[in-house]
Amino acid sequence: MSLITRSLGRARALITHSGFPYRSAPTPNGVAPAPQRSRLGSDFDTAWARRYPARLTRAALVEGIMRPTMTILADPRVYGQDRLEQLDGPVIFAANHHSHADTPLMLTTIPDPWRHRMVVGAAADYFFGTRIGGTIAALTIGAIPIERTKVGRRSADMTRELIDDGWSLLIFPEGGRSPDGWGQPFRGGAAYLAIRCDVPVVPIHIQGTGRILRKGRILPQPSSTTVTFGDPLVAHDGENARRFAERLEAAVAALADEATTDWWQARKRAHAGTSPDLTGPQAGAWRRIWALGKNDRQTQTRRRRWPNF
Amino acid sequence: MKALQFKRNIGRYAAARIAGSFTPGRGSSVGPLKLADLDAPEMPGPDWVQVRPRLSGICGSDLATIDGRSARYFEPLVSFPFVPGHEVVGDLADGSRVVLEPVLGCVSRNLDPTCPACAAGHLGNCQHTTFGDLEPGIQTGSCHDTGGGWATAFAAHPSQLHPVADTLSDEAAVMIEPTACGVHAALKAQGAATIAVLGAGTLGLVTIAALRAQNPDAQILATARYPHQRRLAAQLGADHVVAPPEIRRAARRHTGSRAISLHTDDGAVDRLSGGVDAVVDCVGSSESITDGLAITRPGGRIVLVGMPSQVSLELTPLWHREIQLIGAYTYGTETSADGTPVRTFDLAADLVASADLGQLVSAVYPLNRYQDALEHAAGAGRRGAVKIAFDLRSEKERDQL
Amino acid sequence: MSSNADPYKTSNKHLAPRPGFVLDVDRTSPPILFHHGDQFKLEKLPAGRSRVIYPPEPLEGLADPEGAIRHALANPIGDSEPLAALLRPDMKLTIAFDDISLPLPPMRRPDIRQRIIEAVLDLAAEAGVDDVHLIAALAIHRRMTEDELRHAVGDRVYDAFAPSGRLYNHDAEDPDGMVVLGETPHGEDVQFSRRAAESDLVVYVNINIVSMDGGHKSTATGLSGYTSLRHHHNVHTMRNSTSFMDRENSALHASNWRMGEVIRDAGVKIFQIETTINNNTFGRTGPLSVLQKREWEWNAKDRASFIAMQKGLEVLPSKARRKIFSSWQAPYEMTSIQAGEVEAVHEITTANVFKQQSVAVEGQTDILTMGLPYICPYNVNSIMNPILVMCLGLGYFFNMYRGKPLVREGGVLIMSHPTPWEFHPVHHPSYIDFFEEVLADTTDPIEIERKYEKKYAEDEWYIHLYRNSYAYHGVHPFYMWYWGSHALQHLGRVIVVGGDPAAVQRMGFQSASTLQDALEMASDVVGPQATITHVKNPPIFMSDVT
Repeated sequence: MSLITRSLGRARALITHSGFPYRSAPTPNGVAPAPQRSRLGSDFDTAWARRYPARLTRAALVEGIMRPTMTILADPRVYGQDRLEQLDGPVIFAANHHSHADTPLMLTTIPDPWRHRMVVGAAADYFFGTRIGGTIAALTIGAIPIERTKVGRRSADMTRELIDDGWSLLIFPEGGRSPDGWGQPFRGGAAYLAIRCDVPVVPIHIQGTGRILRKGRILPQPSSTTVTFGDPLVAHDGENARRFAERLEAAVAALADEATTDWWQARKRAHAGTSPDLTGPQAGAWRRIWALGKNDRQTQTRRRRWPNF
Repeated sequence: MKALQFKRNIGRYAAARIAGSFTPGRGSSVGPLKLADLDAPEMPGPDWVQVRPRLSGICGSDLATIDGRSARYFEPLVSFPFVPGHEVVGDLADGSRVVLEPVLGCVSRNLDPTCPACAAGHLGNCQHTTFGDLEPGIQTGSCHDTGGGWATAFAAHPSQLHPVADTLSDEAAVMIEPTACGVHAALKAQGAATIAVLGAGTLGLVTIAALRAQNPDAQILATARYPHQRRLAAQLGADHVVAPPEIRRAARRHTGSRAISLHTDDGAVDRLSGGVDAVVDCVGSSESITDGLAITRPGGRIVLVGMPSQVSLELTPLWHREIQLIGAYTYGTETSADGTPVRTFDLAADLVASADLGQLVSAVYPLNRYQDALEHAAGAGRRGAVKIAFDLRSEKERDQL
Repeated sequence: MSSNADPYKTSNKHLAPRPGFVLDVDRTSPPILFHHGDQFKLEKLPAGRSRVIYPPEPLEGLADPEGAIRHALANPIGDSEPLAALLRPDMKLTIAFDDISLPLPPMRRPDIRQRIIEAVLDLAAEAGVDDVHLIAALAIHRRMTEDELRHAVGDRVYDAFAPSGRLYNHDAEDPDGMVVLGETPHGEDVQFSRRAAESDLVVYVNINIVSMDGGHKSTATGLSGYTSLRHHHNVHTMRNSTSFMDRENSALHASNWRMGEVIRDAGVKIFQIETTINNNTFGRTGPLSVLQKREWEWNAKDRASFIAMQKGLEVLPSKARRKIFSSWQAPYEMTSIQAGEVEAVHEITTANVFKQQSVAVEGQTDILTMGLPYICPYNVNSIMNPILVMCLGLGYFFNMYRGKPLVREGGVLIMSHPTPWEFHPVHHPSYIDFFEEVLADTTDPIEIERKYEKKYAEDEWYIHLYRNSYAYHGVHPFYMWYWGSHALQHLGRVIVVGGDPAAVQRMGFQSASTLQDALEMASDVVGPQATITHVKNPPIFMSDVT
């Protein structure tokens, strides 16, 4: 293992340290950079990634690489897919976010009619910061750039166009990966887009991916995961994005509760408004981490990877 | 004298074994059994008399010998060449009819003092069947000196002969010997409230009749493979008759036991938690004895009437459930209810009359057609028959003596 | 989006379904598809004197079943408050639901029961109800396995209730779990689940695949035991139910309704939820869709898939065939849901069943033919044994009529089924004994009932297996035979085409190797120019015979 780490590090160092012409030359000091229209961030053009050649490539990647990888790494148990049975047409999937493994996990567990016509809302600054990164993100996961903090007009319009065109959207409303395993408050983006585009939102709770590829880690570590799909939510008449986002967060919290206890407990607590908070206790760092350990469902035993002969 | 003679001939014996394994009874055509014109046997002793058979039955043990299936156990107990036939009704010189009790015990061998078994009248248990004045042979029909029933004449000791009442037909009289076997076996199961009889050939049917006569209140289960066997088993006193593979479930139903499966989830009835008080096994195969062990209650007993030869058995249940496995060979003297001794043959003669066991004789053949007769006997069940016998009443050699 | 839609609106994805109809067979008619256990046959029926009854096409399912469920729970029928108003935090709530015998074949996930139970539990959670039990109301059927329960109620409900022992199979032989509530004016004992009897509210979740199901029968039969069942599951009742699919003329239902009153008078409050499904058994598209199309409408693809299926099945061993078929899950859709007071609800339910299943047929026939499929209510994930073949043909299919039986009195019934002498030793132990002992003695239902029923009903081993393994109760095969007793009395002869001769003979029927032979044999009873009617069931339908 350490050998791999070392050689990876060496390779990275080689790329980082090799200079022009392998890398672009930096603008010299004292020279004003040439003004140019930004093609990065939320302006990144991803339309090509939704045409057939790119879609086929993506489908091959998802089925040929991501799915086997996820089966080995994440061993996902999926609950609640039946709740999507009645849905027809595009929807917004909103999931909590632990790690980079979340996206491939979603791409392989979201059921059929949506999976193949879905874009992923990806942080415009992170994924689309460079041309190469943006191109890879758009090609491999069908990413579209969306602002982390507040959804801009351009993102919203583009999303609406895509949804009207029959595309579904996967978005992580926390705006980024969890730094410590607990959730972060949901931002209004998903709710805002759902209201603007008049589509239902499917809340999804992902558990266990944090152990696979936590923020700051490079090498993945296999660990079992649970994906729970919730009942689709529709904004009430006159409900604003903030309220709807709260409802969405509560729904994901109830799913988290369902994944750790059982459905009946979760429903009772959801109705009583006592579902455990996704963001964890407001306390010192060690207590937050301490409390995290309780979140693993006790009744679950690890599934065998090898067939039983 | 016309007779069917069985010679020692290893090659033919092997051929019979192969032929018999394809078609039961076929061993007669290639084996060591031959129709021959022989001299009538000389009287081995002063008391001996000549018997001219009228009917002479074909028994399961005869068929085993002819098809080369009989146990090597018997090799020292026979003397070659011999004339088979031990189920015999015949005429004496004075014209009176007798049936043969074929066991050759100490008395017929002119041994004095007799062995303790013979002294007690248990002829079947005689310890001296290879000694004395006669060549080895446990019965008439396996001893060279006496001849046997499949001939127009043979020699018999007076102690072997029982007079036949005029009211009995020849067919009924020829059933007395096998019936005596059944009576003897049934007495070993006496006192059991539930009894299962495995097999409904001749032995099975006469055993059912004997059990019913001895135990009027007992519940008797029987297995029967063929429709006529079912009908006869029920008529002779079985309360419930089932096909052989159904016996375990039937025994469970009628004893109120539960079933135990070897593999917990497959639902098979591999053995019973309880079971019947006694099993009378008239087949004697590995399968039938295994069935017996599966359906006998702890402390119960299995009476083995069918000749078993070599079998392969799991005996753990015998050990764990303390089951007695008892053999039942031929007959002799029984103890009646009031303690007085009574000859098994007398009990058998009464039973043959009261249960009309003469009906079990399905077909008779002249000696010339012995191959047909033996094949018919070997396939009796399949062909709707029970007991096949040779009919010597119209053989012309019979009167030339 | 969906919450504001009218829940009673059906989705309009397909062409308007056509009603069932009767085809008069002439020289141009194609051979007709016969189910033959886990195989298929194409049979040419004699022209000029044969007719074939085709089932109606599947009705549209409800567009928004979840919405319809919520609507039904909030707007009950008859004398009942909305479900939400019946729930209190400190109450005892019992939810009972139909078992593995419904629907047939099992439906695709999510099962209707899951949808309804989740909706009911969601209301209960909102009301803060803590003491909730869920019971599979299987009377004396076999217990459902974990997989089967998961399929019926869904994983969420199973995981929430089963580990703590609050989701379980009804046990009619539990001495502490059963209670006798009283007696009907006819002297019938009413035995009932103690938990249900002691609950403040029993919610019953039903799937009505045929008109026999539902109503008071749901609870009076489903949550009772032998003590109650013997009063209506007997030869007398079955012979006086003409038919048991027609509640108004069914002694079986009259008895259940009397028992329902006793249960009500004993203070048991029942909130009945009944649903109907369409007859989309084999799918509008997909590998088996050809089975519910009319022969002349089979296109090239249908024909190719039929031939491939027929030939493929021929070469497979029966075990593999069974496995293939038992993996089939029907894409049934819910066509209606109604909840509230039992009798008022059931009126609407039966009307909705008939809306899907009813076919008008004029006049009786001399010879009735049927191709029996691979499944009946009692062999889901199991083996269709000869007794079940009898029950499906003479019990269920024969009784799918209102008015008069399709076949005249003294007529002949010809059914096509391989009828192998084969039993599932775990599911049907008492069936084996019934076949080996009882039917070897007599096939007369009266005699069977008199001589053997009690012994089998009280056999300790059967009771043990029913309670602890996955076995039907010891008395269950008797009920199968009684189910066909009306037909046995009515018919002049029963012929099984392609049946195992020994098994068929054991049941007192005749076996024929081909349909032509069977028709020839039938002519001894009904004459050479007898009229023939074939019921092309499944998909299931009811004949209204005038």
